[in-house]
Amino acid sequence: MSSISHYLNRFKASLQIDQTIRDGVAQELCTHLQDKTQELEEKGLSREEASRIAVQSLGSPELIAEQMYETHAQGSWKEALFSALPHLLVALLFTSYYWQNIVYVSAILALTVGIAIYGWRRGKPIWLFPWLGYYLLPVVVSGILLLSLPEGWSWIAALIYIPLVLFVFIHIVRQTARRDWLYASLMIAPMLVTFAWFSSLGRGNELLASDWAVRLQANALWIVVSFVALAAATVAFIRLRPRRYKIISLLIPPLVVLFAVVAASGGNICAWSWLLLLFSLSAFAIPLWMQAKVYE
Amino acid sequence: MNYGRELLKGNTDSLLLCLISRQPTYGYQIVKELQKRSNGYFQFKEGTLYPALHRLERDNLITGKWQILPNGQQRRYYYITENGQQVLAKRLATWQDFSTAVKAVIQTETT
Repeated sequence: MSSISHYLNRFKASLQIDQTIRDGVAQELCTHLQDKTQELEEKGLSREEASRIAVQSLGSPELIAEQMYETHAQGSWKEALFSALPHLLVALLFTSYYWQNIVYVSAILALTVGIAIYGWRRGKPIWLFPWLGYYLLPVVVSGILLLSLPEGWSWIAALIYIPLVLFVFIHIVRQTARRDWLYASLMIAPMLVTFAWFSSLGRGNELLASDWAVRLQANALWIVVSFVALAAATVAFIRLRPRRYKIISLLIPPLVVLFAVVAASGGNICAWSWLLLLFSLSAFAIPLWMQAKVYE
Repeated sequence: MNYGRELLKGNTDSLLLCLISRQPTYGYQIVKELQKRSNGYFQFKEGTLYPALHRLERDNLITGKWQILPNGQQRRYYYITENGQQVLAKRLATWQDFSTAVKAVIQTETT
């Protein structure tokens, strides 16, 4: 492999932004290197020596990638607020009993589906991912509720529905991760917060006991806090430029949710709920960890 | 801290806008032009130019367009926008005032 190809591969591997932009910048660097190499060759240097000097004078590909990331990964305030909007709408639902009103929930669901499809078709802009998370939420929640069916039926759910959901879910996460694993984390965040709150209600029949809605509403204040924290983290994620700050902003909501769930239950959480809770919150870090491995 | 490097860093955008305003140009030509016009004074890692160009484009001060050369090679030319021209005019005026003021102070000190 030539030193130019090696350089460009290092650059592309370090830059986690939209593939079209990344390829465009790589093409610009490639043209620059070819121009410089040709000029040095005309001065009498061998091709190998000329391309080696050209690569050296361009500087560290990782540094260029980092600076380029900071230029392209920052969204506008408008995009940041639009990204946070679904979290705020969900928080609004819990400020009263709106979440139990089928009209309000249907309206928000229809809005979410419409915006998610629009964003997906419009080249997956940065504001899309939280909306996409809520778009997938009903699918995941249905799976959780199916587990609470009477004995026997829950096995059918486990064998048919859950693998199907996992297939769709993993497919969309992979599609998103092709652009950036951080966006995948941003996307699954609302699902994990919802899952964490469901897990705090208990397991099996306990989850769907007749008073589940009352128990959930009793925690409304803390649920609102969780989703507002998610909205604030989303705004920070989109506005911050350095990648490490984006990662930190995504690590804050799980801690807030953990605190909120524990505070809402007064510390009275069963072992099963703890397990589910910790699992759902640690899932935030899985895409981050995978991205960090690539970024190193 | 290298004072000269800090000065260059603080004025990179203005220098780029100035060069691009004269004629549409591309990355490698900008590097050559900067070195030529400054008699080799401006030395920097050439790759850092591209994040600066993309930042200017993001801020709508310049715009980049791909052009295919007769040999089939693709090159991205940058053009200054109307907004970029206005920003450049303001920056040049500020720079002239600043430069005049610095010169006046230095001359007073040395006389």
